[in-house]
Amino acid sequence: MIEITGLSHRVLEIPELRIPSGRVAVIGPNGGGKTTLLRLLAGIDLPVSGEILIDGLAPRSREVGWVGEQPEREIIFHRVSDEISSALRFRHDPCPLVDERVKAVAGELGIGRLLGRETRDLSAGEKAMVALGAALAARPDILILDETDSNLDQESAGAVEGLLRIASCSHVLIATQRMELAARSDHILFLERGRVLHSGSPAAAFEALTGTPFFPPSRGCR
Amino acid sequence: MRVILDDAILRRGSFQLTASGTFSEGVHLVTGPVGSGKSTLALALAGVLRPLAGQIGKEGIGSRTLALPFPEYHVTGETPGGEAASWGLLPAPVLEAAGLSGRGGEDVLRCSQGELKRLVLSCMLAREWDLLILDEPYSSLDCAWKEAFSRRLGERRKGITIIFTHEDEVLPRVDEIWEIQAGRLVSLGRVPEAIPRWSRPPAYIRAALDAGALPENITPGDVRDAVCRTRG
Repeated sequence: MIEITGLSHRVLEIPELRIPSGRVAVIGPNGGGKTTLLRLLAGIDLPVSGEILIDGLAPRSREVGWVGEQPEREIIFHRVSDEISSALRFRHDPCPLVDERVKAVAGELGIGRLLGRETRDLSAGEKAMVALGAALAARPDILILDETDSNLDQESAGAVEGLLRIASCSHVLIATQRMELAARSDHILFLERGRVLHSGSPAAAFEALTGTPFFPPSRGCR
Repeated sequence: MRVILDDAILRRGSFQLTASGTFSEGVHLVTGPVGSGKSTLALALAGVLRPLAGQIGKEGIGSRTLALPFPEYHVTGETPGGEAASWGLLPAPVLEAAGLSGRGGEDVLRCSQGELKRLVLSCMLAREWDLLILDEPYSSLDCAWKEAFSRRLGERRKGITIIFTHEDEVLPRVDEIWEIQAGRLVSLGRVPEAIPRWSRPPAYIRAALDAGALPENITPGDVRDAVCRTRG
């Protein structure tokens, strides 16, 4: 369980919020506070006031995997295999285990063919998959994807979604503008102007969002 | 007004794409998976990349522009208002269309990625172009802005508009659909006949086709209407 109490930070004002474990879709308009909230949950930023606990611990004491909207700004190594193995090497895991883990993650993501490639030669979507591989390689407790899917086609987004189902993260938070993907999550947070307007099951959240552009396109007759 | 591709072979690194076909006046959608060569083809159509072999001919086309996926590559003004002025436009209506009214004097670098995207697209759509090429125009936009720009793109009647995207939830009203399949550009023809020929349609269109509905066009509204008609 993620527990937020008395949070005030930049645009965000969240007096009280409980987010269950599982796959959580964070949706809402640009500028609504999605990235700000995710950065706090990742421990990248500390709140000006208020408290965030993830299963009773501060975000910075958890293993967090993060992939942003523009992975090319986060990729630091020239070779794909080096990028995916970076977190494991930084913590000095034995090389044979690192190699094994990198191949396994790349295989699960369907990007094994990219391992020997230069990261700069990849398409935007391929870079997103490599950044996801780098985030998953360290087996994070919490995985955060901040609109990473904006550079993925539906097949790649579907592959990522399938992988998230089998990933052993207790919390997966995904900011997305794909409402079909959000509808398949366990829980939805809808943020607008820094406030949580809806927090609940996809069915409840989308009932409240009927008639808005945030309603999934395949649902309901007019 | 036409763009004619005659066995144009495009190469970037180890990747190769072959393209043939004619883009005439109207709104065209070019789809294909990530890494299939959409951006390479967009660059070639804009004249930025030369084909390795074959030809890309343009007839009756004077003005043309290309919207890149990342808006920061376009911005030259120091403020949103300055950016609009740099396109030879009056800032106020452009800023209003981009949802940035009252922010024309801010440092443009303080704008979010989505705000920059709205600004650049609004500047481009405020002008007439014989050939307008948009590479992933929906990236960085939220659902409400995707819908707003979709409506505006679908309303374009003059010139050739070519939209390259892997967007799968909010699409504009288009005249023709193209698909990149196994390294080759394939014309699926005019809408609505092209829709059932689409090998990798967005999930909401696939679901409608599976339900026996043939939408008049590919916007979520058109598809929802078709599904509802089928259900009676």
